[in-house]
Amino acid sequence: MESFVVRYRNLIVLLLLLVVQIIGLAMQVRRNATGRNVYDPADSSGVRLVRLWANALVAPPERAVQSSKTGFGSIWENYFALRHVRQENKDLQAAVDRLRLEQAALLEDARQGQRLQAMLGFQEKYLYKTLPAQVIGTSGTDQSQVFTIDKGKDEGLSRDMAVISADGIVGKVREVFPHTAQVLAINDQSSGAGVILEQTRIRGILRGNAEGQPQIVGILADQRIKPGEKVLTGGGDQIFPRGLPVGVVQKVVTDPDRDGFIRVIVKPAAHLDQLDEVLVITDTQTRFSPEQMKDMTDSQNLKGADAAALTEQRKASEIMAERLPGLTDPNAPATPAASAQPGANGLPAPSAGVVVPKILPPAHPDRFTPGNAAQPKAPSAASPGSVPGQAAAKPKKPATPKPETEPGTPAESQPGGPAATPASKPAPKSPPSPAQPENPQPQRMP
Amino acid sequence: MPVMMADSRRDLEIHKYPAPLYLVVIVVALVLQAMLPRAVGQSHIWFDFPLVITIYFALGRRSPIQGMLIGGFVGIFEDALTGRPLGINGIAKTIAGYLAASVGIRIDVQNYLVRVMLNFALTLLCSAVYLFIYRVLLGMDLEWNWLNPLLQAAGNSAIGLIVFPLLDRFQIRD
Repeated sequence: MESFVVRYRNLIVLLLLLVVQIIGLAMQVRRNATGRNVYDPADSSGVRLVRLWANALVAPPERAVQSSKTGFGSIWENYFALRHVRQENKDLQAAVDRLRLEQAALLEDARQGQRLQAMLGFQEKYLYKTLPAQVIGTSGTDQSQVFTIDKGKDEGLSRDMAVISADGIVGKVREVFPHTAQVLAINDQSSGAGVILEQTRIRGILRGNAEGQPQIVGILADQRIKPGEKVLTGGGDQIFPRGLPVGVVQKVVTDPDRDGFIRVIVKPAAHLDQLDEVLVITDTQTRFSPEQMKDMTDSQNLKGADAAALTEQRKASEIMAERLPGLTDPNAPATPAASAQPGANGLPAPSAGVVVPKILPPAHPDRFTPGNAAQPKAPSAASPGSVPGQAAAKPKKPATPKPETEPGTPAESQPGGPAATPASKPAPKSPPSPAQPENPQPQRMP
Repeated sequence: MPVMMADSRRDLEIHKYPAPLYLVVIVVALVLQAMLPRAVGQSHIWFDFPLVITIYFALGRRSPIQGMLIGGFVGIFEDALTGRPLGINGIAKTIAGYLAASVGIRIDVQNYLVRVMLNFALTLLCSAVYLFIYRVLLGMDLEWNWLNPLLQAAGNSAIGLIVFPLLDRFQIRD
């Protein structure tokens, strides 16, 4: 027996080590509701301990390297890279002024959105507090898109907090240690984020593929999804606030595992391969925070005379628009069939989208009345009952285009449109449009 | 390819190293593995430093048990830095350490061609074991692209050519 153990001790040790590790693995995997085996992200205390040890072993050197890099970078930035800072400062100030104006303009929309959401009982989360963190390490394997940041539990981080960058979402906090944390990137195969396509409003789940690209899965084939469409967070995963940029659609491929489904490969907005600094969303609120409200008030105050003048200008133009006669006549009957008739020369008559104002018949027609001057008794080609064939059969008697409406007549038909308005003066005669020779009624130009 | 009898090789060339070197080299390998992807990009990880040093120590010590222990330890710590279950890399590198030490008993591991081939073959084997455990043993979904393991095998072979002679300098000679 002893000789057996001595002779095969290597194999015995190998088997022992393998069995122990396999049992350990089996304890970490569980079967989910769909019958598939998944890794339980809620690590047991033993697994957490090993992760903590590994992190404690690797994080200090990573921090040291990162600090030295930052230190050198700081020297460079503080002493050598300040050459164009004045010009940059001016440009940035201008950009800040412009952005404040834009923010003020968006404020009303946001408030309106809040009111509507309140009416619908919908609780929208807004970014409230973020914590900047430095990326100090990665998982070291392309099979796992996990990286380590230099902030942890002591800085207020906890599991499942969203991690973003200035460009878009990055991932979520997977494991928290005292001074570091592991972040699961959105391009990991085990990640999952609720996203929505901006134009088509199709929802899906974002996760990584074997090449480390994020892809949206679980989508039925849809021709409307085109490369270049923006992808935003959907807000349904309770991790990422709604509306954060995720990326753009890169390409659409068929799902090899499921018939009729597609996978949308997404080019991430955040540079997941070259992350240096990230923001961890440590808190969200259902309403704007006092700080945000203060910022908005400031920005609104900063709108100043320009914005006020712009508003006045808009109001004036709206009033003018109301007073001026429009292209559409609310009293005109819808005649889609008539507009669909082809013209005499084969060209289509004006479509339903081109609205021709209705001209009231004159009360006392005279020789100046359009249609009466040249052919006082000839019926107009556009008169009711006339057909294109008949009009074409009378080439020597072309339909005379009616001139612009009589002064004052249509303006009176427009609500609130005074006849004395300069714009209501008759426009100069224009030749008949070739596209509508059978319909001599001219369009009123406001 | 020079092949020698096991006994003569064992007597002649069991490499010894200072005890702290094991820890330092393992930590350096893990740190490099964790940090370098930031420079080259997460999608271009064509190296596996922990595996290279596992193979090196297993070959040098010519002890399967030591190779297995180093491989298992390094693999589990590597797993701990990922978001995956602990033990997948542990098992793969345990097997790699055992095989490397077993091969080291039988052939001349100072030969550069042998080192390159061993690194290449064991890297591919590790990837295959990883895939087997993930898909078959655990029954979990995993998309796989064999191009990356091939590139990683080539990268490890190149790294081995540089790192092995470097570590040879730290051998304790009688």
